[in-house]
Amino acid sequence: MSSLSVLIKKECTEDILSSRSIYFFLFASGLMSIFAVLLITNRELSLLDNAQAVYKMSTIVLALASLVAILQGSDGFAGERDRETLEILFLSPLSRKGLAFAKLGRVLFSWLVLFALSIPYLSAVGSTGQNLWPSIFILFTTGTLLVLALGGISLTVSARTATLKSALFISVIVFLILGSPAVLGASLRQTGIGKIIDMVDPFMDALNTIDSVVIDSQGFDFQLLRLGIMALYALMVLWLLNVTSRRIRL
Amino acid sequence: MIKGILSNLILVMAVTLFSSYTVLAKDTSPIQVKLQHPAGTLRMGDTPKFTGAVTNSGQQTLRRLIVYLSLVSLEPGNERPVDLEDWSAQKALGIDSLSPGQVNTHDWGMRLIQAGKYGVALTVIDPTEKKPIVSDLVPFDVKRKPTLSASRIFPVAIGEPVTLLMLFGVILIAQRRGRL
Repeated sequence: MSSLSVLIKKECTEDILSSRSIYFFLFASGLMSIFAVLLITNRELSLLDNAQAVYKMSTIVLALASLVAILQGSDGFAGERDRETLEILFLSPLSRKGLAFAKLGRVLFSWLVLFALSIPYLSAVGSTGQNLWPSIFILFTTGTLLVLALGGISLTVSARTATLKSALFISVIVFLILGSPAVLGASLRQTGIGKIIDMVDPFMDALNTIDSVVIDSQGFDFQLLRLGIMALYALMVLWLLNVTSRRIRL
Repeated sequence: MIKGILSNLILVMAVTLFSSYTVLAKDTSPIQVKLQHPAGTLRMGDTPKFTGAVTNSGQQTLRRLIVYLSLVSLEPGNERPVDLEDWSAQKALGIDSLSPGQVNTHDWGMRLIQAGKYGVALTVIDPTEKKPIVSDLVPFDVKRKPTLSASRIFPVAIGEPVTLLMLFGVILIAQRRGRL
């Protein structure tokens, strides 16, 4: 087994077994449960179509995925630096680039666990409606690209900052900037600038793609531009992480 | 007996007089108001639009008219006014001026919250007139729509966190005993 796969396996095992991750997954499951119960007990929400309910649930999953990408990405190097374990990590036979990509592997693994946890909820709210399987597929695709982009940028920041607090601060600001168009109303996002922001923001691209597939039943060929933009962000971030990882210091 | 006949006669005369007064009031009002039922079957969760038309059939321009919607439940045994706030409906509209012959058309949208029998009417108030003008009551049925099923959601919403809690509990116990 190569050193890279050993490290990825170690990171993933830690991810499942660490109490921090356990609490996060419990929190994620609890949040999805609360929302699912709200969907049937709240009079207004209970009238939603299954597709609309799936879309809203997917939005929560994407927000949680972004959160996990930011938290784990920021912790990647800055956390090790804070805990004074980065030096030990550098003693492993892996290159610094290999370390960075192993850390990104852990972020992706967490996303996969979160995605697996969300499937029963999506199925419960959407099985009697339209587009359940396409919506699960598109959530997986957009979520993976978003986690790659956000996790990669958080890891890059984490490699260059002295403390976990600074890495978290910067990553959270990046997330807030990316997520802020979502709080604008749909009418504001229909203006010229709103449309541009909607198109260049990867978080909004993910939301709009899910909306388009789940609610509007539009085909995958219709989503290519938005998916392409998200993939471009992911590739740019991977390149940036590759460049930055060569210069990680203790 | 004569007393009874007389009282009935007086009652008939009073009703006739009141009816003719009402017809007179209706006929003399320059405002006509109509409300139209949206096409198709209505189901819970739909957001139909009832089209209202206020016409000035008089000779003078009418100013500052207030138009408002009223919704009532006609469900047998549950007849009552319905709070439009719950139905996300627009409550009132102001018309600044309505020239002779002009028709003001407006779509009154609402979200159908509950199944049942309902009636909706449009009322126009002219500040210079004593009586409000009310459209005919438009009755409509809202059919029940199967949406989210509690029997599918509750097992997942309760089952998954409980299963995770048990699973993680086992992991934590195993960690404390040094088996993981």
